[in-house]
Amino acid sequence: MTKTLAIAQKELSAYFKSPVAYLILIVTITVFNIFFYMIIDQNREATLRDVFAVMEFMFVFLVPLLTMRVFAEEKAAGTMEFLMTTPTSNTSIVLGKYLGSLLFFSLLLALTVVYYLIIECFGRPDRWPVVTGFLGLWLEGGLFIAVGILTSSWTRSQVAAAITSYAILFLLYFSVSLVPYVPESVAPVIRQVNTLTHLANFSVGLITLQDAVYYLSGIALCLVLTRISVENRLWR
Amino acid sequence: MIIAQNISKHFGKIEALKNISFEIGKGEIVGFLGKNGAGKTTLMRILTTYLPPTSGRVLIAGQDIGRNSLSIRRKIGYLSENPPLYLNMTVREYLRFAARLKDIPARDTRARIDKVLDDCRLLYVQNRPIAHLSKGYKQRIGIAQAIIHEPEVLILDEPTSGLDPVQIQQVRNLIKDIEHKRTVLLSTHILSEIEQIARRILIINRGELIRDQSMEGLLKQEGAATLEEVFLKLNPPQAPYNPEGIFTGQAQRFDD
Repeated sequence: MTKTLAIAQKELSAYFKSPVAYLILIVTITVFNIFFYMIIDQNREATLRDVFAVMEFMFVFLVPLLTMRVFAEEKAAGTMEFLMTTPTSNTSIVLGKYLGSLLFFSLLLALTVVYYLIIECFGRPDRWPVVTGFLGLWLEGGLFIAVGILTSSWTRSQVAAAITSYAILFLLYFSVSLVPYVPESVAPVIRQVNTLTHLANFSVGLITLQDAVYYLSGIALCLVLTRISVENRLWR
Repeated sequence: MIIAQNISKHFGKIEALKNISFEIGKGEIVGFLGKNGAGKTTLMRILTTYLPPTSGRVLIAGQDIGRNSLSIRRKIGYLSENPPLYLNMTVREYLRFAARLKDIPARDTRARIDKVLDDCRLLYVQNRPIAHLSKGYKQRIGIAQAIIHEPEVLILDEPTSGLDPVQIQQVRNLIKDIEHKRTVLLSTHILSEIEQIARRILIINRGELIRDQSMEGLLKQEGAATLEEVFLKLNPPQAPYNPEGIFTGQAQRFDD
């Protein structure tokens, strides 16, 4: 556990030692701010439902930029050999790296809590859907990060990691648009795998077992696959 | 301390190591020689549990590396060919991270870091980011992380590459200081260096162990005055074509 935390701490500080973290935070929050203003201005409703939808869409593009370096950079720099010859289990390495990225993402998400404070000042928002909406976004971010870390474990090229990660996230996010074009038997599968359908419940205040299982099992699956990939050195 | 039994390693169809066996006792300093691509790094990676052998068995301090890899890693200090450094960390941050991963108790960490910083002549740069340091410093940081947990076995892949003569002398002294306390296996291209440090020489050629002898015995047997003569005799500059289809130069890619 201490090693998992040591690696998580190293990952988190690595983000802040490069300008990339600050750029990502500034650009993302700025874009969120603009959309928040436009959505509230047009809807004139004290709800964050549409804001959550925009944030989810943005995370599809953002998360691979956060996670592409996680393993690819270590492999390219030769530090993977260092990590894997210390008495640290592969599980600790994967969990530590996941935790580091998740903490950075959580920080980004925490900065957006200010939107709730703003609508609380100027209206009477329904609080529960806001809470579940943030929870849903956090889970979704957690899933996207797990996918990103998995693809990063496949290659020593950060660009290749990001592109593969985009391919999987696009499939997860946009696949629902394919439903009218596929056989009826396949359509329910696509709806289940698609992230949009699951987050929709969270943003209206519903926490269902099905949605929670979707995110948690997705995260667990990606982390297990990452561990296997690290163990078998698939990038070789 | 180290027992290797019939180790072979294949990368696809290519045999990087062929049936290698040797034993190294406690406190021995063993030099490991071979041309680029001979299989030195592959063998070192197997001994450090980073790569599994295709066949064969390695015992370190009586434990099998396949079954007890985590506890064996506690006993091994390893410097890979390119020092594995996080360039955005300072020297002290990096060593603290290494100490945490290597199970050094929190209360001892500071003292251990101070000791290796002193041993490796790094005190002056301890708070500088590693990215700003010269190759000589980087190499010594790599050695510092390898010895920070006071391992019983030290495996050093070309520990003096990129160092100037003064630094080479320092590293040599560092290794000599730990003689009798630890088992050291080091590879290098600088033959005079091995002559001064190692008592015993292993020579590997195209994945095969072709010599395993004491320094004196080897020089005597080959009728040579220096190790360089022996090395050139065993590895003539115009190496013949390898009948298995691999030029020795090309085999270098396993090592990079």
